[in-house]
Amino acid sequence: MLNITIIAVAICICIALILNLWRLLKGPTISDRILALDTMYINAIALILLYGIHARSSLYFEAAVLIAMLGFVSTAALCKYLLRGDIIE
Amino acid sequence: MNSLIWLPFLPLLGTLVPLLSAHLSRTACAFLTAALPALTLLLVLSHAGDIFQGERFHAVIPWIPAIGLDLAFRLDGLAMLFAILILGIGLLVILYARYYLSAKDSIGKFYAYLILFMFAMLGVVLSDNLIQLWFFWELTSISSFLLISFWGHKTEARKGARMALTVTGAGGLALLAGLLILGNTVGSFSLQDVLDNGDLIKASANYPIIVVLVLLGAFTKSAQFPFHFWLPNAMAAPTPVSAYLHSATMVKAGIFLMARFYPALADTNLWFLIVSLTGLITFLVGAYIALFQHDLKGLLANSTISHLGLITLLLGMGTDLAAVAAIFHIINHAIFKASLFMAAGIIDHESGSRDMRNLNGLWKYMPYTATLAMVASASMAGVPLMNGFLSKEMFFTETLHQASLGSLSWFIPVLATLGGVFAVAYSMRFIHDVFFNGEPINLPKTPHEPPRYMRVPVEILVAICLFVGIFPSLAVGDLLFAAANATLNGPAPDYSLAIWHGFNLPLVMSIIALIGGLLMYKNRAHLFKFQAQFPASDPKLVFESAIQWLTRQSQALIAWAENGSLQRYVFFVLAFAVVMTASSLLKLNTTAGQRPEIPLDALSITCAVLLCISALATVIWHRKRVVALITLSVVGLIVSLAFAKFSAPDLALTQLSVEVVTVILLILALFFLPQKTPKESSPRRIVRDLSLASLFGGIVGTISYALMTRPLDSISTFFTENSKTGGGGTNVVNVILVDFRGFDTLGEITVLGIAALGIYKLIARMRLFMPSADGNGLAWSEDRHPMLLKVISQSLLPLALLVSAYIFLRGHNMPGGGFIAGLVTSVAIIQQYIAHGVEWIKTRIKFDYQIMIGSGIGIATLSGLGSWVFGHTFLSSWFDYFYLPVIGKFELASAMIFDLGVFLTVVGATMLILANLGQLTTSERPTQQEHE
Amino acid sequence: MPFYLEIIISVSLLTGGVFLLVGSYGLVRLPDIYMRLHSPTKASTLGITGVLIASMFFQSHLKGFLSIQELLITLFLFITAPVAANMIAKTALHHSNKPAEKTQNQALMDTIRDRESPPSNSIK
Repeated sequence: MLNITIIAVAICICIALILNLWRLLKGPTISDRILALDTMYINAIALILLYGIHARSSLYFEAAVLIAMLGFVSTAALCKYLLRGDIIE
Repeated sequence: MNSLIWLPFLPLLGTLVPLLSAHLSRTACAFLTAALPALTLLLVLSHAGDIFQGERFHAVIPWIPAIGLDLAFRLDGLAMLFAILILGIGLLVILYARYYLSAKDSIGKFYAYLILFMFAMLGVVLSDNLIQLWFFWELTSISSFLLISFWGHKTEARKGARMALTVTGAGGLALLAGLLILGNTVGSFSLQDVLDNGDLIKASANYPIIVVLVLLGAFTKSAQFPFHFWLPNAMAAPTPVSAYLHSATMVKAGIFLMARFYPALADTNLWFLIVSLTGLITFLVGAYIALFQHDLKGLLANSTISHLGLITLLLGMGTDLAAVAAIFHIINHAIFKASLFMAAGIIDHESGSRDMRNLNGLWKYMPYTATLAMVASASMAGVPLMNGFLSKEMFFTETLHQASLGSLSWFIPVLATLGGVFAVAYSMRFIHDVFFNGEPINLPKTPHEPPRYMRVPVEILVAICLFVGIFPSLAVGDLLFAAANATLNGPAPDYSLAIWHGFNLPLVMSIIALIGGLLMYKNRAHLFKFQAQFPASDPKLVFESAIQWLTRQSQALIAWAENGSLQRYVFFVLAFAVVMTASSLLKLNTTAGQRPEIPLDALSITCAVLLCISALATVIWHRKRVVALITLSVVGLIVSLAFAKFSAPDLALTQLSVEVVTVILLILALFFLPQKTPKESSPRRIVRDLSLASLFGGIVGTISYALMTRPLDSISTFFTENSKTGGGGTNVVNVILVDFRGFDTLGEITVLGIAALGIYKLIARMRLFMPSADGNGLAWSEDRHPMLLKVISQSLLPLALLVSAYIFLRGHNMPGGGFIAGLVTSVAIIQQYIAHGVEWIKTRIKFDYQIMIGSGIGIATLSGLGSWVFGHTFLSSWFDYFYLPVIGKFELASAMIFDLGVFLTVVGATMLILANLGQLTTSERPTQQEHE
Repeated sequence: MPFYLEIIISVSLLTGGVFLLVGSYGLVRLPDIYMRLHSPTKASTLGITGVLIASMFFQSHLKGFLSIQELLITLFLFITAPVAANMIAKTALHHSNKPAEKTQNQALMDTIRDRESPPSNSIK
């Protein structure tokens, strides 16, 4: 049962990722694209955790933590750039 | 190990002596300088007995045995002959230079160069390895450059030195190529192996190439036609240098090379033709030009060229006797020409001029020197009872036995006699024009005899001239025999060194040469008139314009290839790579290998499609920079997912953290770039670049596919097997980084540190134009530091540092390590910069990032040195397991200290770069009004 | 693995997966940036939490002790997601992105655009 669930959830996340990319490419504003990227980070975290369950391993946990942390930094930096131009002032 | 090894290295030590003793008196300096070469000469002579018995000495110090590199020296007859010439004449030159150089010249520097040259020259003649021989060969070019340009304030000294270096250096490169091919043909770079495999070399298809390249080296060094022009121009050197380098030693290096490789390369028609014709032409051209020189040293230089041609001709004749004659003439020429140069130097020194049109009738002023010069030039002319006569007689004899030109062979003795006629004429001129022929004209000072000891070297050499000339076999019989044996790599033929061989054809040739030369000199006025009809051509100008032409062409080529366009560089690199790889891929029959493919799943396909689309989007939108940056982030994210999926969690972590740092760096840079990106590429270039990129992508894809479907034996099994037992960690990647290849990592973090410091130095204090509005003209937001971001970022810092510490500590056994932890920490700190600004941080974080980089590299190096204390090799890690109550079993490894160094360097370097890039705009920021 | 554990993991995984999908679907379907900001919040809260709970149970079972590492991710996301959304909203306002007709409180947009934060000495 777990295996089927994993496949089902993987399909969900795959579709989610495709939808994110769709929004990222379509825009129309730059804010939409950043939002799409941010959502993509979330989905990537979920994907990695799911893969950890699938592979019965905890090796992938750190990658998820790093995405959670670094994704935010990258989003914040992009937004700061749009607002102020200079991100470190 | 025998004393042989000291032969070249005593002079090397000796280069320090004059520098250290230069502050003493000149005499003391000269004596101290002479001490080590004198000791070396004694060492050489101590081997003489055995060498004359036909023995040969070898000494080898293994250097890099894995690739067959040794320091190898040999002492045989030929090497000993040259060593005696180099050291003996060198000692006389040291004494002579003591009086020749004026008080203004730095005698310590001069002696140091001279001894350096002596070392190089000894290295050439004693080398038992081809590459090593070449090394010393080039060292003679360099040290002779230093000596010729000793009076660097004179233009002609600088020009002459450059010319000598260019010509001999170019020849040296040809020689290197020749020796490399030679060594590969024989399969060994040992000289003895080469000499023993003469037949193999001559049978090889490479033989013509080897001969031409090696001879190019020899001919340039020995000033053979058409490379002879550098030698007269090198006469700008101080006369002791001319006496040493340009008569006795360096110009003989080319001759030595031909003699050394005689058994390996000679004895073919190709060799005979090239060597004998070159020698003959040089012999005649040098003799002819010498006659018309007005400069005393110019005459001697051209006569040297002529005599070198004579020796070359002898080596090209192909009979063993001719080789013996060549060696005999090497000895004789070195002796009489060195003494003549010294005499010329005395004349120059004591009368202030070298122009033979002004120097007349010096007999009255310096009869003693005149007598010495006369004896030496009589030897040069080949007058009986002088050493020059004996070898010239042998030379004439050999020309008569020459058959290499077929029915035209009679040309050679006739031309040889003609050369002899010129030799007599210019020798006559040297004596008559200088010491007789009226009164001196407008000399700067009144000539007089030189200081007593300045004459001693000349006296010694002239005495040897006579001694060899009268008692040849007693004087040099054994040495000549041993040298001839060594040259031929076998028994020397029978020959007789007697003065009187009966009334024969060679004697007639000598008599013709003597009488003809006297007649020619008598009628020189006609010859000079004839010569004056030719337009004057200065080889210096020709050479200079050739060099300038070459420089212009090189500059044009560089301007074409390296025009500053990065696109062009990338195009060249990729195009070259395509050509190189495609050619071998064409030979590969099937792309797919034997390994079964991993089954595809929908997730992987989705991710791959996402990856391709976002990569394409990045390229298409490359002019909308922020959008391109966002799509690039997607690429990075998916690549790290792929790393995670294909069992490379370390790589995934690294990729993630590098990705963010890159994005931040790019955003920082974006601010200073033009807000609107112009269209740079023409449609034609887009088509060109697109096709090349697709082609290259296709090739790389093919290679990857072909590689991944084939079973691959790599060294990775070694690492996986030894990581736990040898490095004490289960994370193989980390153990490789900090232990197996720790030295690599140490180098890399050092580079990282240097790069960061370099960037810091470039941008520190730099102030750039800051746009007051974004690309669409929208003024920047007034909200410098949004409050929510500020508060949350601050609370995020401890969490991030916790994660970083966690990743650092587990690195040795689980995915992680100092590099990733360092990047995570940097990102966490950068986040504070973004949220709060530089000023706020400055009062709170007081790290000096430069010190951080330095201490990081220091810690890493010290941890490596630490293993020496425990008797291990550099950077091998130490680890052990300990038991503590409550905590339980835990491991301590020195690799962790190393990793700490990596961590500190990474944090320091990243922060130094990013924070300073951010600081470019700190203080004043233009408002919109100011710009308008 | 006991059956009840499998049920718990499967259910929470599925819940998470559905919310992730819904969040991304909303991102595509909603008409303007201001509304779109809402949908990923479902993904980053309920979606991720579902997967994280599943992962927590699974890893705890695998290791034999309670795995609380996953809470760290939740903590990160719960802290950062609102800030990220706030920053994105600020950029949208800054660029005066056109809202859809249905978007509420459009009157406030001009007042909050580029509003400066309180002076920084209020937080030290």
